[in-house]
Formats: sequence, structure tokens, C-alpha cells
Amino acid sequence: MTAIQTDGLTKRFGSGESGVLALNDLDLTVEEGEVFGFLGPNGAGKSTTINILLNFIDPTDGNATVLGHDVRSESKQIRQRTGVLPEGAEVFERLTPREHIAWVEDAKGIQADTDAILETVGIADAADRKAGGFSKGMQQRLGLGMALAGDPDLLILDEPSSGLDPTGMKEMRQIIREQAESGTSVFFSSHILSEVEAVCDRVAILSGGELAIQDTIENLRDQNEGVCTIDLEVESVPDSLGLGDVAGVKNIAVNDDEITVTCESPTVKVDVVRTVDERTAVTDIVSEDTSLETLFERYTGASAETADGGSSADGDGGEAVEAEVPA
Amino acid sequence: MSTLAVAKRDFLNVRRSKLVWAPVALYSLFMVLFFYGQSSSSDPDFHMVLFSLLGIGSVLVIPLIALVAAYLSIAGERESGTIKFTLGAPIDRSSVVYGKLLARSVVVIAGLLISFVVGTVAAIVFVPDMSIAYGDYLRFIAITLLYAMGYVAIAVGISAATSARSRAIAASISFFFVFNIGWFSLPISPTEVVSFVLEQLGENPDNYQNLTELVFSLSPTGAYLNTMDFYMPARIASQEAPVSTPSDPFYIQPWFMLVILAAWIVVPLAFGTWRFGKAQLG
Repeated sequence: MTAIQTDGLTKRFGSGESGVLALNDLDLTVEEGEVFGFLGPNGAGKSTTINILLNFIDPTDGNATVLGHDVRSESKQIRQRTGVLPEGAEVFERLTPREHIAWVEDAKGIQADTDAILETVGIADAADRKAGGFSKGMQQRLGLGMALAGDPDLLILDEPSSGLDPTGMKEMRQIIREQAESGTSVFFSSHILSEVEAVCDRVAILSGGELAIQDTIENLRDQNEGVCTIDLEVESVPDSLGLGDVAGVKNIAVNDDEITVTCESPTVKVDVVRTVDERTAVTDIVSEDTSLETLFERYTGASAETADGGSSADGDGGEAVEAEVPA
Repeated sequence: MSTLAVAKRDFLNVRRSKLVWAPVALYSLFMVLFFYGQSSSSDPDFHMVLFSLLGIGSVLVIPLIALVAAYLSIAGERESGTIKFTLGAPIDRSSVVYGKLLARSVVVIAGLLISFVVGTVAAIVFVPDMSIAYGDYLRFIAITLLYAMGYVAIAVGISAATSARSRAIAASISFFFVFNIGWFSLPISPTEVVSFVLEQLGENPDNYQNLTELVFSLSPTGAYLNTMDFYMPARIASQEAPVSTPSDPFYIQPWFMLVILAAWIVVPLAFGTWRFGKAQLG
């Protein structure tokens, strides 16, 4: 049985000229027991999809099932078996974490090991403090704790790492892995590729409301193996780099004293360095495996790091990949 | 079961809100003042205190208590996003509305009962000579609680039908103005309008007096005011309106006022449940 299945799922907000097509004909299949990453920049339609799966909003067209239940007519059965972490939701400010978990127990009619859950998500020492003063990260941890209560068959996590520091993100990934090992299906959305890459069996990349690709991480890597880049910092850029003659060079971009070369395979990198070194003094070499990053950018038309709000975004490099090889 | 789960959590949450208790303190204060006022009278009259309480409670304090306690019950959750935690659990949307009504009613009723206890203690301390008509007092309290529940249901209904705090506030204030101030104090109140129209049509005032009385009672506050015959002696009640007689049509009989108050619980709730049931919680 599939954990999540959508057929031609479409959502349009508003009508006529001013309407926005948030989701266009989405076909998605998440198998039971897998960790599925739902990837895309902000506004790609990730939350819209999740809102439809949980019956928060009605789709304009198409169907979806979760754990074999129709999302509209059998939503309650779905939510009985699913743990949900909504996107950026505030928790109940006048209740303690312990009371939050107790509420889930009441609502689902289950018993949960509250102490163990709060220990897992790392807020055991705040178990009896009102959540009103919690930081974004602590609220996120509490939200995850509520999702975990009652050992659900499926976890739907909308941007689970938002508000978390790097340690928190790592712990979140660890929890997701443990849940997956115990047989829970996990569906989580993110705009950060590295996060998805580290834990997911399969990913779907969503862009502008449309499914760009749906595949395993492994296949994506294989598919994209041909592309890798090397950055060379030089004292001065010579008139002719001579790289056009080097076999395997796909693209060259020059930015001040930095030369970014896209190669067909990693073995070409060394030829690139030798060739450039013959003509000018190389001061620094940066070689990163950015293949999936590049892939993400290609499918979404945005730099993954920019989407992350990071400061070191290299937008020029991303565009250069698409450009023609200069002679 | 899910209604109770919602009610339990919501009660825990809302009883810790100080704002909810402020109007209750106000009602207690008025009660103490009214009883204290009788202490300087040579002939303290318990029913005059009830009369004052009815006046201040009906047009101001009870609606205030109930609206403050419940106007954010659902709209507030939609604004903060906690509604997604609530509905991420296997809870029907209607259960959210009923659970909220239950929790907020319990808070309001508890607050009012505390006020009545405070008032009764004040009566015994300040005016020991005054005899308290306990039967009338209990009927007054019971009907006041029914009126309060009507306003809680109105506030929950408004909250269920609106998507944000600002709209819930606007709708609550509008309701208060139309059904309280507009209904009784404006020259274009519904009773005046009905009278004017019928007069222009050449009707004899004797023929539509009952009708205007019904129009008056269609607002929750009007119905509450017209329950006086249950707990007020004729000497006081007759100052405000003619005391009802068995020959009056049923729709202006005191018991029918209770029906109207009950309808003010059912109708807003049904409206809110219907609107919230098809709300898009994006």
C-alpha cells in the first residue's frame, strides 16, 4: 500500500486573471516505510499540497489518498494514524509541553510516554514550563513531540527544521532516521537540499506548483554525475586561458580574479588546473561536489543557498552553468 | 469524545488568561456596589438590587464578559496557526466549535457564579437587615446564566465564521451595537421602524403592540429583560413594561423569552459550525 498518492492534484487560489495556480496536476507516490523529501523553493506549492493532504483546504481538481484513505471523505482516519508538524505553527502559549502531549493523547485516544517523547525532542527540562516563552526552535521541537506521540504510521512534517540551529537540525534528522527504522513512513518538505539529501530515500522537487522530478537520491546523483565545478583564484586573469582546447570542459565563467570551470567529470579538473597554472599564478583552488546543488538549481531556477537565506550565495556560478561554452 | 478533548485543552488554556477574568471582576464590583447602596436605605429592598443588576448586566456587563471570553476562541487559533495542531489531530471541525462553546461557557458560568457568591456575601455583610428572596434570586441567576451562554454562543459563532482576530473583533462589536444599543436606544430601532411602518399603513396601535413587543424581545438582551416576571414582583416590573397576563399571545409570554434565549445559543452555533466546516485553512 502507498503512504501518499496524489493524482492530478490541482489548486487554484482565486479565479480569472488574478487567480494563482499554486499546484498544477501533481502526481506523487510515497511508498509505505520510506522517507520522502518534498523539495522546492518557498512558494513552490509544498505547504499547499500538505494542506490538501490534511483536509485544511479543498483541491480545485484531482484526488489524493493518505494511507489508503481519501483525503476529503476519510480525513479523520488519516489524522488518527498520522503525526503532523504544521509549518511554522505556534504552540499553545498557556500550556506546558506535558499538557500539549496530554492533549494529543486525549484527541487520538492513545497513551504516550510523555517523558520519553520530551527527552527525544530535547525539551525534557522544560516539560512543566508554559510554552509562551519558548523560542522558535523549542516550539518546533514541541511540535515534533506532538507529532511523535502515539507512534503514528505516517509523519507529515512541513519544514521541520525551520527555526532550528544546526545542532537542532542534526537532531531532527536523527529522529527522522530512527522513526524510519521503526517502520514509520516520513513525508517532509524542505527548501534545503542538504537536509533532504542526508535522510531521504526518495525526493520530489517542486517548482512553481509543478513536479519537476521524482526519483531516488541515488538516481539523481548518477544522472548528474557529469557535472562538477572547480573554482580557481588567480593573481591576474590572462588574455587567453587556453581552456577551450582542454577535453571535458563544459563551461568557463570569469568573475574578477576567480575562474569557475564546469567539467564533464572530476578527472578533468586536474587538466584545468595545469593549463591555467601554465599561464598565470594560481593562488587558491576550491573544488566542491556540488552536483545535487546544481541539479536543484536547474530544476527550481533558484540557488539553494539563496532559498536558505544564506549569505554566501553564488548566484553568478549558478547562471554560468546554463551559459554556452565560450570559445 | 473529541469535543471533550477540545474543551478540556481549551479550558486549561483560557482559564489562565487574565483578560477573561477582568469583566467578571467588574460584575462583582457592581454587585458589591448595589448591595452596599441598599445599606444606607432605611428600607433595604433586595429586588431593587436585582433590578439594578438586570439593567447593568443586560446592556453591558454580561455581553462584555461573554464576548471577551469567546470572540478569539477559534479566530485566534486560525491567526496563530495553532488550529493546524488542533485539526492535525483526528478532530471534526464541528467538535472544535462545540468544544470551544463548552470550555468558554464553563469559564463564563464559573466567573458569574463567583460574582454571585461575592455579591451574596456583600449583602449579608453590608445589609444584614435585608431579607433575601432566595427563590427569586436563584431564578434570576439561572436565567442570567442562560443569557450569558447565549452571548458565548454568539461569540463562538462569530469566531468560527471569521478568519482573523481583527474581523472577530469587528463582528463582535457590530453585533453588540446592533442588538444592544441599536435595538433599544437609537431612534431607528427595529421596534420604532415596525411601529412607524404599521402606523403609516393605518393600523391601530392596539393591534400591533404585541408585535412590537416581540420585535423588542428578538434581541437576546430584550428577551433577557422580558424575563422579569419570573423573579420580580409586579410593583417593580410594571415600571418598565406591562406585566404579562395569561391572555397575551404565547410569543410574548415569559416562557417564550427562554425559548428565544435558547435560540440564541443554537442559531449562532449552527451558523458558525456551517461556516467553519467549509473554511479554507491555508
